[in-house]
Amino acid sequence: MVAHRKNDYNFKERGRFEVDISMKKTAVGDPFTIVPPAEKMVLFLRQHVGRETKPIVQPGDPVKCGQKIGEINEGDPWSVPVHSPVDGKIVTIKKLSHPLSGEEENAVIIETTSEGQNSSLSPLNPNDVSKEQLVERVREAGIVGLGGASFPTHVKLTPNKKLSHLIINAKESDSNIACDFRLMVEKSREVVNGILLIAKILDVTHITFASRTKEGQTPEFDELLRENNITIARIRPNYSVGSERLLVKEVLNKEIPSGKFPPDVGVVVHNIATALAISRAVYNGEALISRGLTFYSKKTGGKNLWVRMGTPINHVLSFLGMSSGEFERYVLGSIMMGPLVSDPSLPILKATSGITAFTREERDPYVNPLPCIRCAYCNIVCPVFIYPQLIMEAEKKGNVKALHKLHVVDCIECGLCSYVCPSRIKLTPYLVGGKRRIREKKE
Amino acid sequence: MNTDEVKFKEYQVVQPPHLYMGFTKDELMLKTFFLLSIIAFASVVIMGVNAFIHIITALGTVLIVHNLIHSYQKWKGYRITYESPTSPMVAGMIVGLSMPIASTFEVTAGVAFITILVFKYGQGKYFQRKYLNPAAAAKVLLLLLLSIMLFFENPLSTGMIFHPHHLELNLFTNEGFIESMWIFQRAVLPFLGIRLPATQSLMFWQTHGWIGGACGILVLIVGAIGAYWLRYKWRIIVSSLISMTLLSITIALLTGGDILLRIAFHVFTGSFIFMVFFMATEPQSTPMPGKSQYLFGISLAILTFILQLFNVLGGSIIALVLLNIATPFLDKVGFKKPYGHRESKGGK
Ligand code: SF4
Ligand code: SF4
Repeated sequence: MVAHRKNDYNFKERGRFEVDISMKKTAVGDPFTIVPPAEKMVLFLRQHVGRETKPIVQPGDPVKCGQKIGEINEGDPWSVPVHSPVDGKIVTIKKLSHPLSGEEENAVIIETTSEGQNSSLSPLNPNDVSKEQLVERVREAGIVGLGGASFPTHVKLTPNKKLSHLIINAKESDSNIACDFRLMVEKSREVVNGILLIAKILDVTHITFASRTKEGQTPEFDELLRENNITIARIRPNYSVGSERLLVKEVLNKEIPSGKFPPDVGVVVHNIATALAISRAVYNGEALISRGLTFYSKKTGGKNLWVRMGTPINHVLSFLGMSSGEFERYVLGSIMMGPLVSDPSLPILKATSGITAFTREERDPYVNPLPCIRCAYCNIVCPVFIYPQLIMEAEKKGNVKALHKLHVVDCIECGLCSYVCPSRIKLTPYLVGGKRRIREKKE
Repeated sequence: MNTDEVKFKEYQVVQPPHLYMGFTKDELMLKTFFLLSIIAFASVVIMGVNAFIHIITALGTVLIVHNLIHSYQKWKGYRITYESPTSPMVAGMIVGLSMPIASTFEVTAGVAFITILVFKYGQGKYFQRKYLNPAAAAKVLLLLLLSIMLFFENPLSTGMIFHPHHLELNLFTNEGFIESMWIFQRAVLPFLGIRLPATQSLMFWQTHGWIGGACGILVLIVGAIGAYWLRYKWRIIVSSLISMTLLSITIALLTGGDILLRIAFHVFTGSFIFMVFFMATEPQSTPMPGKSQYLFGISLAILTFILQLFNVLGGSIIALVLLNIATPFLDKVGFKKPYGHRESKGGK
């Protein structure tokens, strides 16, 4: 896709490798622009990690902005509802291929009649309600981790262990994303309110705001954090540290044991955008129907947009004065970890933190890879110290024993090994395949 | 196919990442070639026109064979093994620089021919990977064939790579060692009229031995730059250099000789210093895990040292080939504990 070269301020990885952040740099100074809704909105009924929600609307039904259209399945502790992002009419419910799973899943198509008011829930005063009611509100508002993982937030707010530490991830390590930085600048008060709400629900003693900003870059926001006893951890410019597991190590010097999660070491990590969504759900009674994202194309550079979920990519393109004919393919979310799709009618999901559009001329460097030269670059760069090349060999042979020994399950799928490979080998499919093979063997 | 099926095809998800560093194998090879060219230039200055002819012979042979195979693959519509000539160019240059200056040009051409045909193209095609360093394997093969000439009356004139005089040296005693250093004391800086003692000529101005080792110090500097810049497997380099230095000191102490001279000989002769930086770090035939690389480097130094002491012809490349063979086993040991498994850091 994009083969970038060294520049003055890149993210530094292990082995002196650098991740280019020139896309991000073009976006950091660009304030959010609100994208109006499209004529037709496409809402997948599953936008979280977990089972699909049940549609509770029929074709022909009128819907209001913020109205629930996908309900959680009874007894399913994981799923979160899906809400209409506009006032409009249900056109149809049909199966479309989901951009994250690649599987056919149900999507509700809504014809927009007006933008509407997102106020289906009543505002709450956090001092008047219990923690359980706050968690319920978070779930009812359909909030999931907005950093890209789409893990249901209410689950993370009800750990079965006592936590001492809350880390807010504003590290924004993806080289194509700058919207977290914009949240610090433009929505600072709401973000801090959201952080305090999370801390209240979790009853934690320490809050750390992990950011890659430098001292003085966001003075008002920093002041607000200090006023509220939130420690600022300025994280070194590095891509892989953005991952939850490595961020905990970076901030608290605690290593999360293999197969365990941050709560197992008394920590929980939430994304800055999730904090904003929680604040809005509680104080304003707003369901999660829109989010900030960073759009990037060579033609436009980086643009921070405020977009409703369900907005098709081609609508975003036409809002920016372009057409889908100009592009061949799109990455949703992180350029290092997000899926790549070619259909511009595909919608923005809750987890879509970015869109990167590529023209046909911007060729995919991973096409026609060369044979592995065993240079070990992939081992050197791996932030969790595993051996992607040896895993690839074991996976090709279907050698489960070797895959175990090589700790493939500890791979965080950061994509760095492929990024540095001189033979342009995409190792991710082997790593994901190796994990799947071990899972299947266990089952 | 109905519309939904068409949609499904369009929605096909492509696995990440979608960003690439842009440092390709070609770039790695070209930069390595550039570094080798610096060493080649110095070797020609020190060893003269013969060194140049050896290098050109090796490079030319390799490129001719590569171009023939490339054209054949293209003509037949087969998968092209090497799209660009950079990798064969590096192989050719390594052959040229790893030949002894006393060798005949025909032998150099022979080694280059076997390197590219048998151990670069052939090995890759039939084993899907290069287990043996192509240039080293080609030299060992030819060495075996040419060793027969030891039994000829005048082996040098029949194309012998290695001087039979080597077999008469006694490196176990200080006297024998000092005596065998005469060949290096011949080294001079002709244009300045300077005659260097053996220690210095071994490090700066060798007119005997491997072409690539003419200036051991330069190989050390250029190799170190390569290891840093191009991320050669530095653990192999560091561990073999340290091991060889320690072994040299040990033998010097045991035999009561000059420590510096021993280090200069065992570490700075081309067959070791050049091999360590530019052959023993050849990625395909060397181990991946860090600790295995240390093990590889230490073993390489010990084996080379022993073979050198016993005057085994081509000792260093035989040691390298043996360790290449051991690499698949070394790959299975020496794993670093991954994140989440390091008890000292909180993992289990
Ligand atoms: S970086 Fe690529 S070429 Fe190098 S060892 Fe890893 S997979 Fe092989
Ligand atoms: S994708 Fe996995 S194996 Fe590759 S560098 Fe990241 S953690 Fe390591």
